Amino acid sequence: MGVFKPAIPFLLVCLMQSRFAFCQASIRITLTEVNAPFSKVMDDLQLKAGVTYLGMTSLTQLSHPVSFSVKDATLQEVLDLCFKGQPFTYKMVEGAITILPLETGGRTAIRGRVVDANNEPLSRVTVQVSGEALAAVATDDYGEFRINSHGADPTLIFSSVNYETQEIRAKAGKEVIVQLKDKISELHEFVELHTGFQDVHRRTTTGSFDDIDNELIFRRVSPNILDRIDGISSGVLFNTNIAQGTNQSTITIRGRSTIFSNPNPLVVVDNFPYSGDINNINPDDVESITILKDASAASIWGALSGNGVIVITTKKGKLNQQPRLVFNSSETVGGKPNLYYLPILSTNDYINVEGYLFHQGYYNSIYSNALHGALTPVVNLLFQDSLGQIPDAQAQAAINALRTQDYRPGLGKYFYRPSLNSQASLSLSGGGEHNQYFLSAGYDRDLSNLNRNEYDRVTINGNNTYFLLNNRLELNTDLAFTASTTVNDNPGVTNVAYPYAQVADAHGNPLPVAYGLNQPYIDTAGGGQLLDWHYRPLQELQNADNPTRLTDYRINFGARYTVWKGLDIRAYYQYGRGSSDNPNYMSEQTYFTRNLINEFTQINNGVPNYIVPLGGILEESTASYTANNVRLQINYTDSLSRKGLLNLIGGSEVRDIEGENATMQLFGYDPNEEVGVPVDYANFYPQYSNSNPAQIPYNDTKLGTSERYLSYYISGAYSYLGKYLLNGTIRRDESNLFGVNENQKGVPLGALGLSWHISKEGFYERSSIAKWFPFLKLRVTDGYNGNVDRSVSAYTTANVNPTPNSFDAINASIINPPNADLRWEKIHVVNFGVDFAMHNDQFGGTLEYYLKTGLDLIGESPVDPTTGVTSFTGNTANIQDQGVDLTLHANNTFGAFRWNSILLFSYVRDKVTKYDQVQGAVNAYLSVGILNPLLGRPLYSVYALRWKGLDDSAGNPQGYLNGTGQLPGKVTEDYNSILFSPDLSNLVYKGPASPPYFGSWRNSLYWRQWGLSCNIVYKLGYVFRRTSIDYTTLYGGNSPGHPDYDRRWQNPGDELHTNVPSRPTPILATIQSRDNFYQNSEVLVENGDLVRLQDVQLTYDFSRAAHPKLPMEQLRIYLYANNLGLIWKANHAGIDPDYVSATPNPRTLALGVKASF
Amino acid sequence: MFFLLLVIGLAAGACRKAFLAQKPSTNLLIPNSLTVLQELLDNEAVMNVTPALGEVSADNYYLPYTIWTSLDIKEYNAYIWAPDLYEGQGLVSDWDFPYQQVFYANTVLQGLTGIQPDSTNQAQWNMLKGWALFCRAYAFFNITELFAQPYDSASAATDLGIPIRLGPDINVKTMRSNLQASYAQILSDLQQAEGLLPTVIPARNLNRPSRPAVLALFARIYLSVGDYKNAGLYADSALQTYSFLLDYNTVLPGYFPIGDTMAEILYQSNLPQPGNGNMLEGIICGCIIDSNLLASYDSNDLRPSVYFLKQQSGTYTLKGSYSGLVYPFSGLATDELYLIRAECSARAGDTANALNDLNILLTHRWVAGTFTPYPIQSATEALDTILVERRKELAFRGIRWSDLRRLNKEGWNITLTRNLNGVMYTLAPNSELYTLPIPPDVIDFSGIQQNPR
Repeated sequence: MGVFKPAIPFLLVCLMQSRFAFCQASIRITLTEVNAPFSKVMDDLQLKAGVTYLGMTSLTQLSHPVSFSVKDATLQEVLDLCFKGQPFTYKMVEGAITILPLETGGRTAIRGRVVDANNEPLSRVTVQVSGEALAAVATDDYGEFRINSHGADPTLIFSSVNYETQEIRAKAGKEVIVQLKDKISELHEFVELHTGFQDVHRRTTTGSFDDIDNELIFRRVSPNILDRIDGISSGVLFNTNIAQGTNQSTITIRGRSTIFSNPNPLVVVDNFPYSGDINNINPDDVESITILKDASAASIWGALSGNGVIVITTKKGKLNQQPRLVFNSSETVGGKPNLYYLPILSTNDYINVEGYLFHQGYYNSIYSNALHGALTPVVNLLFQDSLGQIPDAQAQAAINALRTQDYRPGLGKYFYRPSLNSQASLSLSGGGEHNQYFLSAGYDRDLSNLNRNEYDRVTINGNNTYFLLNNRLELNTDLAFTASTTVNDNPGVTNVAYPYAQVADAHGNPLPVAYGLNQPYIDTAGGGQLLDWHYRPLQELQNADNPTRLTDYRINFGARYTVWKGLDIRAYYQYGRGSSDNPNYMSEQTYFTRNLINEFTQINNGVPNYIVPLGGILEESTASYTANNVRLQINYTDSLSRKGLLNLIGGSEVRDIEGENATMQLFGYDPNEEVGVPVDYANFYPQYSNSNPAQIPYNDTKLGTSERYLSYYISGAYSYLGKYLLNGTIRRDESNLFGVNENQKGVPLGALGLSWHISKEGFYERSSIAKWFPFLKLRVTDGYNGNVDRSVSAYTTANVNPTPNSFDAINASIINPPNADLRWEKIHVVNFGVDFAMHNDQFGGTLEYYLKTGLDLIGESPVDPTTGVTSFTGNTANIQDQGVDLTLHANNTFGAFRWNSILLFSYVRDKVTKYDQVQGAVNAYLSVGILNPLLGRPLYSVYALRWKGLDDSAGNPQGYLNGTGQLPGKVTEDYNSILFSPDLSNLVYKGPASPPYFGSWRNSLYWRQWGLSCNIVYKLGYVFRRTSIDYTTLYGGNSPGHPDYDRRWQNPGDELHTNVPSRPTPILATIQSRDNFYQNSEVLVENGDLVRLQDVQLTYDFSRAAHPKLPMEQLRIYLYANNLGLIWKANHAGIDPDYVSATPNPRTLALGVKASF
Repeated sequence: MFFLLLVIGLAAGACRKAFLAQKPSTNLLIPNSLTVLQELLDNEAVMNVTPALGEVSADNYYLPYTIWTSLDIKEYNAYIWAPDLYEGQGLVSDWDFPYQQVFYANTVLQGLTGIQPDSTNQAQWNMLKGWALFCRAYAFFNITELFAQPYDSASAATDLGIPIRLGPDINVKTMRSNLQASYAQILSDLQQAEGLLPTVIPARNLNRPSRPAVLALFARIYLSVGDYKNAGLYADSALQTYSFLLDYNTVLPGYFPIGDTMAEILYQSNLPQPGNGNMLEGIICGCIIDSNLLASYDSNDLRPSVYFLKQQSGTYTLKGSYSGLVYPFSGLATDELYLIRAECSARAGDTANALNDLNILLTHRWVAGTFTPYPIQSATEALDTILVERRKELAFRGIRWSDLRRLNKEGWNITLTRNLNGVMYTLAPNSELYTLPIPPDVIDFSGIQQNPR
């Protein structure tokens, strides 16, 4: 929180200074000057009285030195003394001292009006006639002025603190309209923001927007557009360690505001929500990204806006621009992932554990079981030894040979490789007087670091805009096409846990591993009549054939007709269609197919009868969507009076997204002729290995989906005097929610916002704080966003089950008991913001505080199971987020160096404020993969169990049960009594699982043609659960164990220096709960805080100006290094908190070139 | 083009309703047509599963120590009849599944009230109503056999029964009825169903009940409450309509002797599949058939080879293949009816008829030509033999627990024991442990009275 401390004194100073400005006239000055240069006296006065100088300050060069001594004099008195006898005079205009030449001669009256870039009136701008003393006036609230001049066509000088001084030659009798350019906040206030409905300047908004321009998008090298906003936008968090089944999105904007409904931000591409795969967007085609964060910014998207909106705007041509060709290409290389990152038990220890279990008789029931489950080589050797099938010495020698093996080198050699990602794009853009165009083509090829996995993508984009009928009619067409192929042949796993598995022999031939059925059984089963039943991971990799081909296109038509000045009508239509096809061909060489054929083989008199035909199996899934979007909109802009400006849009939108998914399966498939063989799905057949009757799996499915919206919206902004801005939005959405009454199909949502450009107030300009922060703006917004959950219904609804019952009848399940009170989810957002900037934007920033309350959220309530349902889903939950977003930027020049620094800091804390379903037991809050909110806690929280340490006799972990207040409770080893205790006070809340504090610090340094930029990201204030030895999965052969095993309790006294429980005797019913207790105990919860050097970019720019012989206008060569590693982490367990149970992304290095012709 | 036209229509408001009426997903249904109601009842995974804990606690098998120690906590405790069965864990499938069937049945019954049948669909409407009532009765009866104490006509009006829910509204509070009222509801549902269901067994859809199934269920229920007169009458009525017995000499040798449809079946239901917290892991994956049970089969008896599988170690495990499917069958079949009729005849002193039924059954179970009728003279002797044969024929059919409750109440004094690594556990006859505790989550929500343990 310390980071925004400076803001508080800053605000105080603002207030004090503005009071001071009002009292200026009554201020008393004590000052002595002896033969002082006039400029020194000016500085002294500025210091003492906080005055500002305007006008023709250059005249002071002609000044005489000044001498005087005053005590408690008024400002007026002091000024009179200073200006006495000088070749110029002064005038107090609105608290500022305007220096004027001495007046002479006759008059011409000139009238005029001063406006800003947004055509809003500018008051208190000093207007002077060049070369004429004392002829200075200030504009009024309407921005209007009237000035007398001696000459007929005088040159007028317009000056103001915040605007560039401008000179204009006026004509007597004709109204002069002058537009002044903003001096301080040019960069930020005039950035064009895109809401998807209109393009607005930041200064005409009150909401919370973030803009990412082309340069920043280009900074990172990656084929995915959303990657490029990671770490560069405040309040936007990219989540790592997402657990399946917990409805967590990869990106959250300003925390979490739903529980079970859609958690993803809305992505808008060129006016409409994008229905396709975001990977289809080539980042090189993107001009800018606007992120809409609060109610005011996002409410134009109504019921879709609850999780924030990311608006992607693609590149367009420009009017009157020579054809411009841009070529960009890069190659990114990345290392192999570190397979040694995730800790596992050493082979030696693992084999010792297997030996221990063997002697405990642990494997006997598996060995004798008719299911013939696979046992590892060591266990099979031990059985052969004990049954006398091989001599002791031979068994021992074979086991000892295995002790030296490790599966990771083989995995690294055959399953992984360095990654190589190539990108190339070419675009042509330009425009004439009446049209503009942009054409581009891109090609990406990504050889993943998983051997045989690759991705390639072709994108083609073209848009064209015509301006007709004297620019009254604008017509726009836009076509985007993407085709990609993803090959996913390598799952990156071997499906076995034992650490001495080998995937290949010394010559690279695939070796079998213990998977599925036991090796001795496989070797004899079927007497040679069955297909090879061994599982060889490397052979699987070689035989995999699993591509996904995707095509997607988007066609836009847009038209704008200006009815009269300020009023235009717009119509947009977008058609989008995408389809993907994933034929997964599993040839007869793959284990899946061989296993299925074998299980369904019947051998009668030595003759095999194949129920599943020989040949491959094709599993093909296809998905497609068709989206139609239409929007009609009216835009109206007018200055109702000269003091204000009104901007209104209103319209209606229809969206329809129809989806279709299907899967089908062909047996005995021949890929050359693309035919399959019919099979018998209906009858049961005994499976070969275990005789259990089974049917051939039937996987053919088809599903259609439909998402329809009908929306109406109106949004307006009224700015008064360019200082006060009020805007509001109302939108009503209706959707084809199922089984909802007509009147509940829609929801009206809206927001109001207010901003006060305080630095335009006279009192502020006069205050000395204005000298430091000549730009200051306050904003407040309040409103509602929404979210849709299409999975619930007001009626009893049922779902057809994908497979018929065992008597081949179609059947259905009830998925939802009736809920007549179903409502849409609403998110109430209040946002306060301050924007400030120093002169020339040397330093500035934005501070925002927000409060988000998710109301009527869809949640689950438990129900008495006697009712027939165990939980009920309805509008039962509330969640609240509080947060702060701070952005600070500094731009400074030191000689040839230019330094640009941006610090982002975000704080967001969510809290479930209403949730009815309290799970029956402590255990439910510890399970992985289930979302169980608890009142008063963040939605994603880490809970743990109190830890008493290990007991001194057996090394069992000990916990506490049912503590009260300060008392920790009873010490117990009855883990089930803790895990299944209904008393949730047995849970200790350890902290949020997502960082409440996060942000980045990006520094860019420019020297001549060189640019260097690096981004440091940080995440603070959260915890994670680390892994340790889990005897249940180790014994079960499901995990390779954990090296904490070496630190386990072995002898009394060990409990003093270790927390790792002893090795238990293999009784699953008891060790499961013992392991469960230990895994979820406090001792395994670690602090997640980290600081990471995310990336570094180095650029060198050649421009024709510097190199006249350069064949192109501009050439940039860039190097970009990503995933550089942690700078600091709080935990001492050697874990990167972003990768708790996965291998960290390897470092990558990109070299690229971008040329513009 | 259609879309553009649609947009124009929307502006006029005409198509707006149709546009928004589209189902979000093609597999969504509202249960307001006979087709959908039938699809709900055809959900075999929901409607045709019976509770498991009775079989887990019964004496047909024992578990090796290592298998027992690998079990889920509820099954682990049920095996040794621990008084605290659930250790605080809710979501007990043996309670939740039958009440889910009741909810489905009530949803269908309510759905039917909204559909006015006409001449074209009256038969289907009747069938669905009878089907739903049958399922409700079956579910209530199965709950009673586990969670209410054994029926005693003297005290039934004051003994605790089970919650009776007669509508799908989940807001109705759960209350326990008395045992008399519980049985009255079960019998009245069945009586209604009897008049509505078809008389012919749907041989290709055995998950659907028919009139013979109703009669068989009546027989089973009356037997369980010790009303042998009615049990015998209903068994006889059922056998009058359908009496087929499969000759085990005609089945295939090997693991899976009976094809995918067993013709003796009147109504299909089975014990739950293992996994997902269901409680049949031990029985399916590694139980050993009780040696006394195994020894009671004659060497010419074909049943052990059909029902059980010999292991390398010499012990037998369960195939569970009576129905042709892998999970133990718990539905209604003719063999059970023969045994009920035989038992009731013996109890009524009609030794000749009792033995006749027994002999018919056993000639279909022994190697052809080897079965010679038991030389039995007295009705008591006949009853003893019939009860032994009942256990042998109906092993792992989810019936033994019910029989233990009934027979011990009559004074047969059957004590169950378990030996786990030298530790002995016993279940005394007529112990309170024969009535399972109500799941803890149900008690928490409804506040209904717990069974004494």
